[in-house]
Amino acid sequence: MSDAKSLFKNVRVIIFIIALLASIIAIHPGYSSGEGTTSNLNYGLDLEGGSWLQIKLQGALVQVDADSGMIVSEMVEPVIGAPITITENKLEGNNLSETDNSITFTTDVPVSSSELELLELGRVSVDRLDQDTTQVTIFTSKESLIRLYLASSLDSEVVTFDDGEGPVYEIRTAVSEEELEALMVKVGGSVLMNEDGTSSYTEGVSVQTRDLTRDILNDKLNALGLKDIPVRTVGDDYILIDFAGIDLATAKDIAEKPGKFEIRINTTGTETRHVLYGDSIVSVGIPGFHDNQWNTPFVLDEEGALALQKIAIETGAVDNPNAHYLTMYLDENVVYSAPLSYSAATQLKESPIYSWQASTGGDEEAKAQAQALQIHLRAGALPVNVVLVGSGHVDAALGEQFKTEALIAGLFSLLAVAGVIFRRYRRPEILIPMIGTSISEVIMILGVAAAIGWQMDLAAIAGIIAAIGTGIDHLVIITDEVLYEGKLPPTKVFLSRIGKAFGIIFGAAATTIIAMSPLVFMGFGALKGFAITTIIGVFIGVVIARPVYGVVIKEMLEASEASAARKGEISADE
Amino acid sequence: MATGFTDFLDSFVKSHDNRQLLAIPLAVFAVSLAILLVSFASSGSPLPLGMEFQGGTQISVATTDSPAVLEELYSNYPIMDARQAGNRVIMQFGVMNNEEQRQLEDDVIGRYSNVEIKQIGPVYGKDLQVQALQALAISFIGMAIVVFLIFRSPVPSFAVVLSALSDIIIAAAFMRIAGIELSLGTVAALLMLIGYSVDSDILLTNRVLKRRGTVEEKISRAMQTGITMTSTTLAALVVMYVVSTFPYLIIPSFTQITLLSQISGVLIIGLAADLMNTWLLNTGILRWYVLKPEFSGRFNR
Repeated sequence: MSDAKSLFKNVRVIIFIIALLASIIAIHPGYSSGEGTTSNLNYGLDLEGGSWLQIKLQGALVQVDADSGMIVSEMVEPVIGAPITITENKLEGNNLSETDNSITFTTDVPVSSSELELLELGRVSVDRLDQDTTQVTIFTSKESLIRLYLASSLDSEVVTFDDGEGPVYEIRTAVSEEELEALMVKVGGSVLMNEDGTSSYTEGVSVQTRDLTRDILNDKLNALGLKDIPVRTVGDDYILIDFAGIDLATAKDIAEKPGKFEIRINTTGTETRHVLYGDSIVSVGIPGFHDNQWNTPFVLDEEGALALQKIAIETGAVDNPNAHYLTMYLDENVVYSAPLSYSAATQLKESPIYSWQASTGGDEEAKAQAQALQIHLRAGALPVNVVLVGSGHVDAALGEQFKTEALIAGLFSLLAVAGVIFRRYRRPEILIPMIGTSISEVIMILGVAAAIGWQMDLAAIAGIIAAIGTGIDHLVIITDEVLYEGKLPPTKVFLSRIGKAFGIIFGAAATTIIAMSPLVFMGFGALKGFAITTIIGVFIGVVIARPVYGVVIKEMLEASEASAARKGEISADE
Repeated sequence: MATGFTDFLDSFVKSHDNRQLLAIPLAVFAVSLAILLVSFASSGSPLPLGMEFQGGTQISVATTDSPAVLEELYSNYPIMDARQAGNRVIMQFGVMNNEEQRQLEDDVIGRYSNVEIKQIGPVYGKDLQVQALQALAISFIGMAIVVFLIFRSPVPSFAVVLSALSDIIIAAAFMRIAGIELSLGTVAALLMLIGYSVDSDILLTNRVLKRRGTVEEKISRAMQTGITMTSTTLAALVVMYVVSTFPYLIIPSFTQITLLSQISGVLIIGLAADLMNTWLLNTGILRWYVLKPEFSGRFNR
């Protein structure tokens, strides 16, 4: 029994035992008469029942150029109903994003600045030069003109960002390169080429937009407080939503119903008065830091702006802002509450305000709040157009069946493997450590899954089976290498044999891991789980479990050969 | 099967020369390749594409109604196929608009129990198809690179990669003949095959190139180990196939697990092909390589 003691002093064995115990703790298996067997394992939808929706974000990223004068003509002429003549254009040049520049045009019809301001081109100044000529100057930049032109022609939100090589326009709806090219040609421009001669047009949206969409969906779906509904991004353009325990029809209802956003003003005490709903919010900007405050900008439509002005005056918020807080609700929960600023209150007495800023403070927490508010303000309205590209549904009872069947398949497979191994070696001292190692590999894979909150679905189960399959293969390699002459070699030879066996095993494991890795980085939901589980399993097997098998098999064989030798002696004496 | 089959294979390998060994697997490989090419030429795709890659809706329900009854019941929708699987009927629908889809789902969920629905849009299906092909290609190339890095010797590495390729081609040709569609599950199986099939090839090559002893003996020993490996895996897969495909034989109310059934089915064929490719094709090339006169001094000490 001194052998067994030395076994427990071996570092590999100690690591193995710790890993195994940690896994069991992580899985935390239990049994209660009410719930049956319980554990910390998360099951996927196909085992748990529920439904899933997969949506694709439509959009395009593109770099374009155009003649700013032609854009102004294209956009202004339909509004004023007369041709215009560009007289001065300071927008063309190198400082494309400079905001202080201006473009000036003249026209022979009277123009009011308010009708031009509705186009949101920029600050507008109108001068009546003489009876027949009106001169208009718009303070803007070429970048924002192109953005507004694209937005109004495609009736979609368009945002710009700069990746260091000029502005990139993100169009948040489906648009083909041909459509874009046609639009740009109309204003004397084109879709730009990259330096390598390929088109700068790419389908899809930026990672930031994808993540914002995910966060908005998350916010909206989980504000309902029904259940935890995970929203995940898959690949660059897809978002996957899992509705555990919810059938497909209900899931679609939930996903399509917009969140209810409302702004109210305090009247007296805790009484509040309705001002506007989320449909009055035209756009929500990206939180910015200025005046030592984090701010989330948003723009109201005509109706909303007028309602806010009217009610602010009626409740007295314009005179005493601090007694009449503005409070924002999403699905009846307060998401923001603050008084009108002094300047806003003063301005509201005169005219409605369209562009607002909600400030949250100056610290890191405020930054997070501002970002959260950006999501809340959208109230479930997504920044990009989306299409449903896939969905699925599994009844809970069916999932339960699958779980049982997968368990039966696993157990029977293990028995079949044990049968083949026993037929080959006919020695329990080989069979028991081999099957034991396999089972402990399964426990450790499940342990890792429980610890990182990985979902066990049918694909992941297939992955476990794959990992165990290669695992048994590797144990056979070790066994045959050790028993090359049919019996246990001296320790020195044994160690070199184990080394050789691991040479083969590492090679085989490396090919499996390499073969599976493309799936980890590609867009499939289902096969990703399969690949990750296989890789985790192979890794655990090679690093933790199989080295221990080498040690254990030596001890077991030594013990059995010693007893066999003694038996041989006794029988010879007889 | 282990010992009897191993002895048979062993004596077969010993009694035939390298050319004879290569003939059988290369012939099977060529026929399989021809099957896939003909299919590609006639239908534009080497394998029939499953719903996941084409777009459409698959609905499976527990029912005692016959497939014909369901086909009649849902004849207003673009139903393409309804078939029995144990106590269930699986229906395939073409692409529908959102409203039609909703109506159908509501109806099915209201009417039947144990419903499973899978819907894939045609655009996403196309995307998946491209990704699946990329995944297969990248996996295969990655595997080939690892094999070359392990052996650092072109001919033996080539033999391993060729026999892995042949495994996949044969498995794919079998899928074509048996009418198994290319789905996410079968793509997973083909990828798994890449990982599995090289295990025994690496074992064989490693033993033959890096061990002392006669080539004959090293091949026999490797065969002992390798066939045990493949047969344990095959045993597990056969059981998994039976349980996931015919679970209603054990418990009448149980349902096919299509994913596991597809994976195990394709892998069984792939591993059977692997037995042939490893012990005839790979062995033949390797034996020729190490017994070439200029190498015999180096490897056959």
